[in-house]
Amino acid sequence: MSDRPIGEEPVLSRDSAELETCAPEADTPAIPLAAEDELDRHVRRDLRRQELAIAKQFMGGTMWPYVVAAWGGFALWLSLFPLTMLGIMPLPIAFVISCILATGGYVTSHEAMHSNIAQKGSKYRWINEWVGQVSTIPIVFPFSMARLMHLEHHYHCNDPLRDPDYPDEAPNALMAWYKTWYNRQPGVDGSIHAYKRILREMGTPEAERSLKETMVLQLVFMAVLFTMAWTGYAIEAALVWWLPRHIGLSYIRFYLSWAPHHPREGRTGRYENTYIFKSRLGHVLSMCMETHLIHHLYPNIPNHRTRAAYFALKPILAARGVDVSKL
Amino acid sequence: MQAAVQQLFKWMPFLFGIGFIAPLIAQTMAYWDIAAPFGMSRIAFGLLIGAPWGLYAVLRGRWV
Repeated sequence: MSDRPIGEEPVLSRDSAELETCAPEADTPAIPLAAEDELDRHVRRDLRRQELAIAKQFMGGTMWPYVVAAWGGFALWLSLFPLTMLGIMPLPIAFVISCILATGGYVTSHEAMHSNIAQKGSKYRWINEWVGQVSTIPIVFPFSMARLMHLEHHYHCNDPLRDPDYPDEAPNALMAWYKTWYNRQPGVDGSIHAYKRILREMGTPEAERSLKETMVLQLVFMAVLFTMAWTGYAIEAALVWWLPRHIGLSYIRFYLSWAPHHPREGRTGRYENTYIFKSRLGHVLSMCMETHLIHHLYPNIPNHRTRAAYFALKPILAARGVDVSKL
Repeated sequence: MQAAVQQLFKWMPFLFGIGFIAPLIAQTMAYWDIAAPFGMSRIAFGLLIGAPWGLYAVLRGRWV
């Protein structure tokens, strides 16, 4: 766990003492940046202290909107089935809503993966878990698998052998969109197929449970599609669940995996494994991924606060050698 | 049990072709008022497309 990024498990506890203790230990990037080379140990430590002091101001905050969005969104998504089957809601409208919910669900689930809604041991922990559980059902991606694989991504970011999201790498944006689809093909070792393989290799009880939950969710998905299709509701099933799932997965893969981490090769250091970029669709439609670097540095800063945290941390990141010219 | 589940998932694209693609083709044709060729029913035409396509996905590991 020596290459675990700062801001993962220790910060999950929001224990400032633990945070301060562990911070300098993981200060050295795997591949030093040019600017880092020029900084001596004392300057780096001083920068880290300043960085932590600023970052802490953005950790936590108001999280109930994520809960409302997750549970309300899931209820709305479920209601699309009877509403379209009974002809109450036009299919094109339901399709657009379902695409938004399928894609946005990952954002709420992502906060739960990092326990940002309620920490382990909190009396509100069940809320955190149920936000995670329901958020990714529209994309047929169980929370247990999502959390395990996402934390592996944080621990081994851009490691070609150990980062589960490394198969998303592509030379350009067009190829990246293509790979979001290609990696989902039945015989390709990418996306959920790669996740299943990694979970089998992990072999832990959590991984076993995750594999079982994945199997159950996938079978339920197929059973619903087949039943709806053979009872006369194939178009409804396609436009409310099947197609929005594919669109959502591609959008998520592109903006949450490829865009902030490209190019991945050899970029495993703390300040270089994620990029600051300017999205053509803007900050919100890119799901706040322009400032995803902040998330990798401090996962306990909620998604909606990473932009403000970035501007507060910008001078320090620049001193660390991060390219801050895009934003 | 595990082997059975693995076999089920291995053949899932074929089942998907029959269970979902075939009725989707038939119902889409009905929605657009398109008749199936050669006097076939729409669902027979859907199965004629969906089943081989799913089988192709199982054998080749890709849908296209």
